Amino acid sequence: MRTPLNSVAVKRRSKSKSYRSSYRSGIGAASRLSFTPGLTSRRLNTSRKAPKSYKIAEKVTKEQLTLLVKTEWTLSYVTPLYRFRHTQLKSYSRQLSLFIAAEKQQGLAVDVEGTQNTFRVSFSLVQGMTESVDDAVTVLIQIHSKPLFARQDKPLRQVWSGWLTCINGNPEYLRSLPTDFICLPLFCSSEAGGLTSLVKSWFQQSFDCCFSPLEISQTSLQWLMALWTNCQPESSIRQLKMIWTLPAEPQLQVTYTVNAEEAWELWSSVRKESTAGEGEENSIDIEEVMSFTQGLKGHFIRHFRLDLSAGSLKEVSTALGSAKHSGRIKFSNSKYMITTLMLLTECALLKMPI
Amino acid sequence: MDESKKRLVQRLMRRIPTKRLKTTLEKWGRLTGEQQRAMDSIHSKWALTESLLAICEENELAVKHLTELEMIYMIDNPDQGMWYAFQLTDPGDDAQSVDLMQFKEQFKSHLKELVREVSVKIKKHTDEAIWIRIAWGDTYSRPDHLKPTYVVHYLQTPYVFVTRLTSKQKPMLSQAMVLSTRYQYFKDANLSGRNLTAIRDLLMRKYQQVFPTKYPSPPTERKQTVTNPHIERDQAKPAANRLQMACEAFGGGVLPQLQSAVYKLETRFRDHSNTTMTEREEPFRCVVKFSSANLLESLKSCASSGIASTPVTALLSFIPLNRKNYFVITDKGPVPSSQMRQTQN
Repeated sequence: MRTPLNSVAVKRRSKSKSYRSSYRSGIGAASRLSFTPGLTSRRLNTSRKAPKSYKIAEKVTKEQLTLLVKTEWTLSYVTPLYRFRHTQLKSYSRQLSLFIAAEKQQGLAVDVEGTQNTFRVSFSLVQGMTESVDDAVTVLIQIHSKPLFARQDKPLRQVWSGWLTCINGNPEYLRSLPTDFICLPLFCSSEAGGLTSLVKSWFQQSFDCCFSPLEISQTSLQWLMALWTNCQPESSIRQLKMIWTLPAEPQLQVTYTVNAEEAWELWSSVRKESTAGEGEENSIDIEEVMSFTQGLKGHFIRHFRLDLSAGSLKEVSTALGSAKHSGRIKFSNSKYMITTLMLLTECALLKMPI
Repeated sequence: MDESKKRLVQRLMRRIPTKRLKTTLEKWGRLTGEQQRAMDSIHSKWALTESLLAICEENELAVKHLTELEMIYMIDNPDQGMWYAFQLTDPGDDAQSVDLMQFKEQFKSHLKELVREVSVKIKKHTDEAIWIRIAWGDTYSRPDHLKPTYVVHYLQTPYVFVTRLTSKQKPMLSQAMVLSTRYQYFKDANLSGRNLTAIRDLLMRKYQQVFPTKYPSPPTERKQTVTNPHIERDQAKPAANRLQMACEAFGGGVLPQLQSAVYKLETRFRDHSNTTMTEREEPFRCVVKFSSANLLESLKSCASSGIASTPVTALLSFIPLNRKNYFVITDKGPVPSSQMRQTQN
């Protein structure tokens, strides 16, 4: 399956339409997905709403929030799930446990500690995170390790967790999916090793879907820089840290850390006049984000005469969270999690092959 | 065997890699031929440790013998851990005439006066370096041999290199150094790195520096990429110029292996395309850290490939020029070491 290039706008001409139809007919009737509107012709939103402090703590339970924040998640995107039912979670928990046990028996090493442990899987719903009516409810999967001679009262140790989510997904796309498909395009896993592969295999087998690693593009990283900095007046970011790598021999890494106040002032200075009316949410444009990054690079060039554009941005972090180009995200503060997830959902949906 | 001796042996064995153990033990010379042969035949680290513990019992070795072993290993393998450079300033009239014996006696006695419980071991290495191992104690406890400080001083030069040192220990080391070398001050040289050899070479200028003369030709590329002869011809002169300037700024040949450089910027915002920010009175506070497996090589490669404009900016060439890798930069230029707060990192 071919995936469209990230954030590249494909011109919507009749040529491309016929390309898409012929491509689809090439797959033949075997394809379960019917014609969906050209998501390939979309690009990453050039404008988005300023992040507001979603009172997420009021909507999502405290236990679940604790599980989601302060962990570094590895990101993947996943195609729509065929006949996944939010009502069948208990059955899925059982099935996945059996699957893992079977794989272990076949000799697949999943447990570092020893072969005496069995795994207890639990699927649960995370209510309160959806943004639009079309969003499917977030599904959380936890795997606990149960030692053979465990005491009944001792709490089980969590060895893996992951979650599938869709926050403010593109409504056109979501509505175009046939009723048997559930779209939860963003998959976050607590690590990238053996258990993650097993969970992915089971999902692929059970729901005829496909997982792939999701990188966070340069543009998305810059969006996060701006969106997080925008929160400074309400919630201090403490500092804006960027890590760039430059193609020198040997490779040169530049860690550029800007004070919170300074980052905020620079960001405010590039913001355009607010056109939003009273009570309306202000929106942020891509040009403002680009000017912000340019300003930071400009100050740097003036001192070192070294252009960061020659390299690539690898990591961005603030007190609100951190994001890596390789596809890792950490939410340090639950208040602005939703905005970040909206951006990541968008990135995941852009990767959908059809 | 008492607990502290046992812990010291265990720590030593963790530190010394198996492949270096043989030569280090031989240099130490406290094992009989038979014991040495027995050690050579063992391969597992755990078994080696047990064996060494037994030998220490057998030969009735004391803590001071074990610290000797550690020191031998450190002297032969100095490029690990973190080293911090210091400089002695304002020499007295007799600073130049201090000889090894004098220094050793004076340093030991001064330090013992300042720190009641301290264990000092001094050893002269072949290349004019004096190695000092200090195990610190205090009024309530014996010297802690698990957390020693190593100090390397090149007699006849004002340079001193130190491994871990707490803020409590620093003034005492400073005082002892100053009194025994007849200088006035012991200052942070703002240069640090993992390779002692590298920071020493940089500080004492023991590497090939290039003076502005015509450089023969750019070194041949290892990879033979397909090139366009027109581009080659046009680019030959600019490439040669860039390389020349890169070498002038950083040096030719093999460069000392620094891992990082930190610039604390306290200058006003400088990008003129943003007038709001450039009009701002307060400094735009940020910190820039450059890191690499070999920082000077990376910077040189940036300059010669054009990623960094040539001539190389003053800030980057400060590293080899001032032989430092920590700078505080204001609009008036770099803050001199004497005015910088001594604590950094």
